[in-house]
Amino acid sequence: MSTLSYGRQRSVFRGWDRFDYALFLPALALVVVGLLLIYSGSSRSYVGPVASFSNPVAKQVVFASAGIAAMLLVSKLDYHYLTHYAWVLYALGLVSLVVILVFGHSAFGSTRWFNVGPVQVQPSEFAKLATILALARFFSEHGGDARDLRALLLSLAIVAPTAGLVFVEPDLGTSVVIASIWVGVVIVAGVNRGHLLVMGALFVAAMPFLWTFFIADYQVTRVAILVDPEKDPLGDSYNVIQAKIAIGSGQLLGTGLTNGQQTQRGYLKVPTKDFIFSVLGEELGFVGAMGLFTLFGILLFRGIRAAQIAGDTAGQLVAVGIVVLILMQTFINVAVNVSLFPVTGIPLPFVSQGGSSMVTLFIGLGILQSIVMRHRAYRQI
Amino acid sequence: MSLLDEGYRSPAGQSRNRPHGNLVFLRVLVVVLFGVLGLRLVYMQILNGADYARRSRENHIVEQNILPPRGLIADRNGVPLVANKPVYSASITPELLPDDSAVRFKIYQKLEDLLGVPAVEIQVKVKDAEKANQAGLEIKLKEPLTEQEALTLDEATTDMPGVKLNVTPGREYLGGDAFAHILGYIGAQRQETRAKYAKAGYDLNEPVGITGLESIYEQDLRGQPGFDASEQDAAGHLISSLKTQAPVSGNSLQLAIDKGLQDYVYELLSGSLDDATWHAKTAAAVVMSPKTGEVYAIVSVPGYDPAITADPANHQAEYQALANDHVRDPFLNHALAPAAPGSTFKLVTASAALETGNITPSTSVDIPSAVLEIKGENGVIYPLVDWRAQGPGINIYKGIAYSSNIFFYMASCGLLGYGRPGLSSDFGTGAVILGNWARKYGFGSATGIDLDGEFDGLIPDPAWKKRTHTGPGFRPEDADWYYSDTCFMGIGQGDVTATPIQVARMTAAVANGGKLLTPHVANAVVAPDGHVVRTIQTQSKDVGVSAEHLAEIREGMHQSVDLALGAGHNAFRSNVDIAGKTGTAEFTDPKTGKTLQHAWFTGFAPFNDPEVVVTVYYDLGIGGEKAAPIASKIFDYFMKNVKH
Repeated sequence: MSTLSYGRQRSVFRGWDRFDYALFLPALALVVVGLLLIYSGSSRSYVGPVASFSNPVAKQVVFASAGIAAMLLVSKLDYHYLTHYAWVLYALGLVSLVVILVFGHSAFGSTRWFNVGPVQVQPSEFAKLATILALARFFSEHGGDARDLRALLLSLAIVAPTAGLVFVEPDLGTSVVIASIWVGVVIVAGVNRGHLLVMGALFVAAMPFLWTFFIADYQVTRVAILVDPEKDPLGDSYNVIQAKIAIGSGQLLGTGLTNGQQTQRGYLKVPTKDFIFSVLGEELGFVGAMGLFTLFGILLFRGIRAAQIAGDTAGQLVAVGIVVLILMQTFINVAVNVSLFPVTGIPLPFVSQGGSSMVTLFIGLGILQSIVMRHRAYRQI
Repeated sequence: MSLLDEGYRSPAGQSRNRPHGNLVFLRVLVVVLFGVLGLRLVYMQILNGADYARRSRENHIVEQNILPPRGLIADRNGVPLVANKPVYSASITPELLPDDSAVRFKIYQKLEDLLGVPAVEIQVKVKDAEKANQAGLEIKLKEPLTEQEALTLDEATTDMPGVKLNVTPGREYLGGDAFAHILGYIGAQRQETRAKYAKAGYDLNEPVGITGLESIYEQDLRGQPGFDASEQDAAGHLISSLKTQAPVSGNSLQLAIDKGLQDYVYELLSGSLDDATWHAKTAAAVVMSPKTGEVYAIVSVPGYDPAITADPANHQAEYQALANDHVRDPFLNHALAPAAPGSTFKLVTASAALETGNITPSTSVDIPSAVLEIKGENGVIYPLVDWRAQGPGINIYKGIAYSSNIFFYMASCGLLGYGRPGLSSDFGTGAVILGNWARKYGFGSATGIDLDGEFDGLIPDPAWKKRTHTGPGFRPEDADWYYSDTCFMGIGQGDVTATPIQVARMTAAVANGGKLLTPHVANAVVAPDGHVVRTIQTQSKDVGVSAEHLAEIREGMHQSVDLALGAGHNAFRSNVDIAGKTGTAEFTDPKTGKTLQHAWFTGFAPFNDPEVVVTVYYDLGIGGEKAAPIASKIFDYFMKNVKH
């Protein structure tokens, strides 16, 4: 078999021919779309020179470059290093979340980042990846059989601290993403459907109590806004209404980049971050949104392919976790923009302005590449 | 196993079992979730996109109305009766104030210096508004400002963020007290009419006509508001001006009223309320054309200072005093309010009797005594009282001229037992016949004059009495119609009420040969460039009384003024040939139970070619003594100063 020759090659270039460009290029395209939208969305607030590091577009270019570099590094790294140190990474993730709860709380009600020099670091981004690695590690080990109720509950115990700490930040959206990752991973790990259904039923039954004791007032308001946004148009539901108007008014082809009235007249809040999809909806229209969905579709299906061809259970589950992470973040972000989900601060993967998310996602892509690039080694046994 | 070395082998000994997971659900999930989002976008962008695009436009395009100058009102000679003047007010918007409370208080203190509004009061108002979550709304501090205050405030507002000088259209009523009822006033829209005006495109803060001509001719006077469309960003900053359309001034009103005459009559009535015998509280007069229905003057006494209603905020005490004056009801237009018409109504009775034929010019009766006892139904004795022993041979002319009650009892209810039938052998039917003639003369319903606050008056009949005199508080016999009811109705008393404008209009119909005219105060609506947009024409209806009979009635009225014994002789003037009819309507003062009289005089001149009708009413007095001489002076003034 011609592929045997790869096994004997020992060089830094080993495996690069298996680098999945179809996984990387859509991500790169999303970054470019993001740069255009950030340019349009910041043209109102940013008036400085184009070539300046205070220009959000330039900043984003830097973050994307750093992300891509990280991706290449991680691609080269065997993901088994990561699963090997999964527990350490997991512990670090939890500690960072606790630290931010203790030290970050003084500033705002909902501070989700550290300031490390000029860069804001969001530990929850890192914690998500660490949790995926820990889950994969757990299920790939002997005894980690998802069909076993004991193992299933143990895996829940891995996810629960992360989701809980993120929830009290408070960041409802990220908790939902983490919970979705758990569900996705245990399904692929072969969970007993009966178990999952019973747990789902228990969760639904517990909802009223969670609602009463754990959901913050502002979250209740955000859900209420979703139900009836016109109730308080200048108050809490302002963003929701303005985002709907922006997206709807884009119609089929959009108003054209930098021509969106909602975006350019400042009716949209955070138009380069959580509501960047509204800029796209307004300026690039339905066609633009479908283009964006296509890019995400290719990216996600290539991610699923990585899970499909993964050499071992750990690789497959890591890939599933990362795919669910990107899928759910994308879904929730867009759903918030189109008023299908309560407002929650989740960025649009690869598109929204912001460094932590960008770098984390590219690291995730790197892990996927690492899985793809190493699949044959195990298939040939 | 050798190949495994090339990968990283975990010392922890992870199992490298072949993956077994089923990934179909994940593919399905991707398709389903994006499918949901895609459908949502189809709904928002494709199906409802146009609607959202409209809302986006509305978001950033702000239209502001520019109020047009309101049309003016002038009398028949072009003498201005109103003037437009800006009303200045000072307001403060808490949201726009500086955050620093010390800086804020400095602004309050400066306002206290400029306007005399205590700084502490402003502070409290601002705090209340902020507490009520209304920091974005303007709070009015003072209105109106004097021109000087407005000027200094305008200069000072540049240093006082949040403080604004507002200018709203206002009116000055040059006509004074005499025109208060006619012109009415403009003011802020009332709660109950806001929806109506909003529908017609009015701004919420746009003043509207509340009463009088200002209200009746609101649509003509208002004009076409202009607008200023501009583009704003979310913070409310002006980005660009899109389109401006200048407002079109309202059309002006030219009245039939002669200001000189109106003032003269107003002064005349005001000055003659009190005399040695009678202390009248209210009076009214109508001067109108029997040819065109034009109203030359329509006066209600007492009047009031129009500034009180136009600017109630600064005249609260005066306003309350007027509103609570239930003796004189100054806000009531007494020329449009009902009272027993008394003997002026005999013109109607005369018409009915002549037309039905129970009286002819040759009918005459001797009235040797002021009291005639009649045996009525069930043997009840009715002492029919005349105001004097009218003497022998009283016919239709003398009946009118002397205003003989007994003659008109004979003409309406008949003289039972004397072989003198009334309008019908059945006095109930007689009342119905008389009522129908009264309605032909326009009684019992509003004349339709272009003023507000007009009453219908009342023409009773047996059915009406039955309907209204039953139920609690009435004895069963109260609902019955009696012989005397028809008799009193025949002389304009009992339950008959009429307004001065109705009496004037009837007089005009008698004078002009039987045309019942709709009186009008305004003559024409004139555009700002001077061309006449429309003229206000009278409506004419035939009362159905023959020309001979009307001539006979006019002859009676002529004699009333001409003959020395005529009831209206006090109206006689050598220089004007006046014909008229007095009225002295008895009524029982509800407070004292004493019998008092309303004084009426209604007439026309010149006798041969009537040009003007004058009707004068006092709430207390005797027609021939109190109203007739005043009417005479009005005829005199009209002939000298108004007639062309």
